[in-house]
Amino acid sequence: MICLIALVVFAVLGIFSAKYRTVAKEAFDCVFRRITLRKCTTGLDKRLKSKITGKLMLKHPGFARNVYKHFEMISWVFTIVLIVSFSYSVYSVANLFIYGNCNGPIPDAFCLFDPFISEGTEGECTIEAAVGEITGVLEVHPDDPVIGPKDAKVTIIEAGCFVCPYTKQAVPVVKQIISHYGDKIRFVYKDFPVSSAHPGAQEAAEASHCAHEQGKYWEYHYMLFENQGKTGFEELVGFAENLDLDTEQFSECLASHKYKSKVDSDFREAFEIGVYGTPTFFINGQVVVGPKTFNEFRQIIDNELARGG
Amino acid sequence: MGLDVEKIREDFPVLKKTVNNKPIIYMDSACMTLRPIQVIDKINEYYREYPSCGERSLHKFGKRVDEEVEKSRNIIKKFINAKRMEEIVFTKNTTEGINLLANSLGLKQGDIVLGTDKEHNSNLLPWQKLASMGVKYEVVMSGKDDNFSFENFKEKMNRGVKLVSMVHMSNLDGTTTPAKEIVKTAHENEALVLLDGAQSVPHHPLDVRKLDVDFLAFSGHKMMGPSGIGVLYGKKDLLEKLPAFMVGGGTVVDTTHYEAKFEELPQKFEAGLQNYAGIIGLGEAAKYLMKIGKENIEKHEIELNRRVTEGVEGFERLSLIGPREAEKRGGIISFNINGVSSHEIAMMMDEMENICVRSGAHCVHSWFNAHKLDGSVRASLYIYNTPEECDKFVETLKRVIDLMK
Repeated sequence: MICLIALVVFAVLGIFSAKYRTVAKEAFDCVFRRITLRKCTTGLDKRLKSKITGKLMLKHPGFARNVYKHFEMISWVFTIVLIVSFSYSVYSVANLFIYGNCNGPIPDAFCLFDPFISEGTEGECTIEAAVGEITGVLEVHPDDPVIGPKDAKVTIIEAGCFVCPYTKQAVPVVKQIISHYGDKIRFVYKDFPVSSAHPGAQEAAEASHCAHEQGKYWEYHYMLFENQGKTGFEELVGFAENLDLDTEQFSECLASHKYKSKVDSDFREAFEIGVYGTPTFFINGQVVVGPKTFNEFRQIIDNELARGG
Repeated sequence: MGLDVEKIREDFPVLKKTVNNKPIIYMDSACMTLRPIQVIDKINEYYREYPSCGERSLHKFGKRVDEEVEKSRNIIKKFINAKRMEEIVFTKNTTEGINLLANSLGLKQGDIVLGTDKEHNSNLLPWQKLASMGVKYEVVMSGKDDNFSFENFKEKMNRGVKLVSMVHMSNLDGTTTPAKEIVKTAHENEALVLLDGAQSVPHHPLDVRKLDVDFLAFSGHKMMGPSGIGVLYGKKDLLEKLPAFMVGGGTVVDTTHYEAKFEELPQKFEAGLQNYAGIIGLGEAAKYLMKIGKENIEKHEIELNRRVTEGVEGFERLSLIGPREAEKRGGIISFNINGVSSHEIAMMMDEMENICVRSGAHCVHSWFNAHKLDGSVRASLYIYNTPEECDKFVETLKRVIDLMK
């Protein structure tokens, strides 16, 4: 059984140094023979056993004696641990692809893979005239769509664009944050339509506010992301119809550009403090640009909560 | 007079080496000996000062090579007390020497070759290979205490035996065959005798003329010489009759497109460009051993062997291979621990105290198979080993056995 462990260990080491490849080959031969119910003839198992117990002998003779005596059993234990941990790693990687984190649908544990995933969560939809440096903080206005109590210790403001793929990419993490922290946070969405890159962004933003006046902002908000890119008048009205909104009122609202000034003002306000792309988050004033993993957000939010906001 | 081992050890640079802050205890000299600085320097001298062809080139370097090679041949002649320099043929090693004879002696159908039951594969396979030509290979079994049985030998000896090809000193257990009596009996029956001297030549006083042996093969790497060089000694009149086994450059005086005129001895057996550095280094090694004296070497090894043998006496599950008496085993202690693989013991001793010993069948598979054993652990001692090292060996072996209880 020690050969199976040796195979994994030396195969990995063999990637970096040729001297381990021969041992890895021997280990493979040994494992293959064992699988095919033949005796391992390379002597690798004996060599490893002697080397390990010989080394231990110099420091802890009693322990070495036990290791020697129960070597096969210890090898089995390590093999089982190896298989279990390998299976768990596969499970975690699968979760990572399915849920965006390695812990599955209820992600409240540490995920080793997150730092690697950060690379894939880089990016934002930028505007051409941007300065590229954020120098201020957005303010929350009474007409802003909000989730969470006003007195929450942490306020997260997102400047997003309904047609920006990176803003869409952040949606599951935002949902996760809202569900994980509940009343501990207040989430505010502000429009920053990157119309130069994404035609229809302005119309979608205005439409979301038309839904807001009928009390179904967040439903409409998520529907826009689910159907990202569909920003024609009929399509926007169709979404309202799907949500059982008053389509006449909605159509009139949209056609008259009732909330153009609101969207423009959101955009201008963000632009003036240096927001250059979406999504941009302000977590109690701390700026986070681009879609990030839940754990990255969690570190900041937890710190803020610990500080008492 | 005993050996000044400490002084001798100073000649071996590798013995100054430590691993994990512990010195190396080298006890695998039956496989390959360490080399003294004198031999290393002599080899370096060839490569640094006259790295050239011998026997062909007339320039200064070529002449120097010829001089050094012949000087070396002369030293080897003295080393085994051969009568003439032509009787010293340089080979790659013992194996090549034996193969040379097996392919040149002209043995034919019905001829018998006699060996012992402790032959190294190198003195077994060349004769087994001749079986396809109808040559019979027969084995003289050891007698009590694993010693050579002269009775068994005489029983096998008859006019059909054309060659007795025997190990002189066994690499398995260190026992020595009574070469002089064997040669006498063989000659009375008109059989030739080839001795495999790979182990005896480096450790044992050996005089080919006193033994009256017809052929003797040995290797450089077991007598402090370089690897890849060996010697085949043969009586001049016998070698002259033998056809060259390997032919090519250096073996001929002249050739036409269809014929060749061969060189005299020993060149006719030394085909191709020779291992000059090896030959010259081997001469230096023989000189070094002659200076120390083979009697002193043998005495020292037996003293050490006795110390180890007494030390391990009574060790649980330990069984020695060969006679109990250390003096019958030269510098070799071969043993098994019942129920434990020899490789495990060897590797553990290496890991724990840098003790280098050999494990396995030592190329004498036939003996181990006949005795239903996988192999043995073999410690083989030489002039650079000390009593303290022997004590360390015994103490470490005890610890290993305790570990495996």
